[in-house]
Amino acid sequence: MRGLARFALCALTLMSLAGSAGAQTKPRSTGKAAGVPAPANPYPQHFAALCAACHGANGRSDMPGTPVLAGQHSFYAITQLFLFREGRRSNEAMTAVAKTMSDADLRGFSEFIGTLPPVPAPAPATPPDAARMKKGRELAQLHKCLFCHGPDLSGGQQVPRIGGQREDYLQMSLQEFKSGKRPGYTMAMTEAVSQLNPEELETLAYYAAHFPGATASGK
Amino acid sequence: MRHIRSLVALSAFCAVGAPMAQQAPAEEPGWAKGRPKTETAQKMAPVPAFPVPTPADQLPVKKFKLPPGFKAEVWASGVLDARGLRQGEKGNIFVSSLFVANKVYVIPEKGKREAKVIIDKMPLATGIEIHKGSLYLATNTKIMRYDNVEDNLDKLGEPKVLYDKLPGGTDHSWKYLRIRGDKLYYAVGAPCNICDPGEWAKIFRMNLDGSGVETVASGVRNTVGFDFEPKTGRLWFTDNGRDWFSEELPNDELNVVTQPGKQHFGYPFCHQGNIPDAEFGWGKSCAEYAKPAALLGPHAGSLGLKFYTGKMFPAKYQGAMFIARHGPWNRTRKYADIQVARPDGKGGARLETFMTGFVENNNYLGRPVDFLVMKDGSLLVSDDHAGAIYRISYSGK
Repeated sequence: MRGLARFALCALTLMSLAGSAGAQTKPRSTGKAAGVPAPANPYPQHFAALCAACHGANGRSDMPGTPVLAGQHSFYAITQLFLFREGRRSNEAMTAVAKTMSDADLRGFSEFIGTLPPVPAPAPATPPDAARMKKGRELAQLHKCLFCHGPDLSGGQQVPRIGGQREDYLQMSLQEFKSGKRPGYTMAMTEAVSQLNPEELETLAYYAAHFPGATASGK
Repeated sequence: MRHIRSLVALSAFCAVGAPMAQQAPAEEPGWAKGRPKTETAQKMAPVPAFPVPTPADQLPVKKFKLPPGFKAEVWASGVLDARGLRQGEKGNIFVSSLFVANKVYVIPEKGKREAKVIIDKMPLATGIEIHKGSLYLATNTKIMRYDNVEDNLDKLGEPKVLYDKLPGGTDHSWKYLRIRGDKLYYAVGAPCNICDPGEWAKIFRMNLDGSGVETVASGVRNTVGFDFEPKTGRLWFTDNGRDWFSEELPNDELNVVTQPGKQHFGYPFCHQGNIPDAEFGWGKSCAEYAKPAALLGPHAGSLGLKFYTGKMFPAKYQGAMFIARHGPWNRTRKYADIQVARPDGKGGARLETFMTGFVENNNYLGRPVDFLVMKDGSLLVSDDHAGAIYRISYSGK
């Protein structure tokens, strides 16, 4: 599959870039010398060099399995970078990147990601399947998704925005929560999805990805 | 109250009950029970400690305000998720954490104050106590003992498990420990914001080998700080009040146990001694329950409590207790500070604000958790938000 090959290439690029970006940013984490004016925020450039190839320059990824960062909250972003760096969230490419990051880098990247405005998903060729959307909405209500992710699925603080996220990434995440592969700080999400079967997880992913207002086709 | 009471961490779709044949509505997470449907309330959820410590030169020490003659300085920085503080007989300072760090650290009393990880990958390694050379550690599931720790800081070895019948879970399940008279004191909080807690919501004590568990106090929603009054030996504890009642009510409680094993402090029936619960209060009277010694503020997140036993501070701090107000997650206006409470000799206590400056523009710069009185009489304060430990000293100047 072309997409997968591109993803692999992207991951490799990312890993090789990671070393240099980490090295560049390290001195900044030790604080600035007296009398030297603070340099301009370097993280927009670091994001462009290190993250944009996979996640998109505006944070709207078109890479399979790669999450949209546009509209994501900085607290969520730093928590994920921290978990990647600690080896508590498993993804080879992202762990390789995060391992090179200092605490200051974690702050810098996540604060920049927090400034990226939400970008709607491209308009689908055909309108979303009304029956699947209805089923997804019912599942989201039944399983209390909205309790943390909010009525508009926009999340907040450490809770991710999932409305308009890539469907393949949502599918993968839900499966990883269900299997326990992706624990987070606790097993809260694993417990949350434990009652859902694979088809229902796919329906939820479809619903969140096509959430009204989160695609360019509008409400 | 406890800002991460149910560890939403990456957040939950739901907390699920027993498996069901047909899909029934899933249960809401414990912390969300009773949350109003208003938009403002719906946006509030427990917040974990920030996953990166504040750099040493950006810690808020210059913003702290203390009574005249006192000074606060950074004692240690870069201690991710610093929670409980205890000191070994040989001087080492032990620091626990919650689920962000999953670690126990040790910091030497003298020399370079860098935190060294001695226990890692231990979820909710929060309750610690030191006694006769051993480190007692309680997670949400078990209580363990590491012997001779200060001689084995490079390799603690396997702990002896003293007790493994704690209920686990994430709501109010992490621990605070004290040892007195060869008894280990701990609590198991309510498994929710507001519910029938069953056999929990109690302070317990056990023999140091894990045997002989007995109830010390009932009706305690969630205490994460307690200590014994030096003069009387009585146990004083902070208790975090229920959430979602209103922005201003109920208050957290400061309580004192005068009849161990016999008193009920009200949860879930009565809050702050005079408010019957809207659901569980029916048919109950607040007069049936032990009254708080003082009210600690709405959703204050009252955590560590320590009687001052040093000689450095002025005489009026002798016999007084320091209380860390970690600050609310479920109240629009944030606050966090350190209070001093002085027993009034009539079962109550008078409060006085001791240290402020943890909040700026309604954002936390730091959040105090626990205390340690050093041999020189200075007071250490842990801060899990900034990942730091401060030292408060008194010079009179």
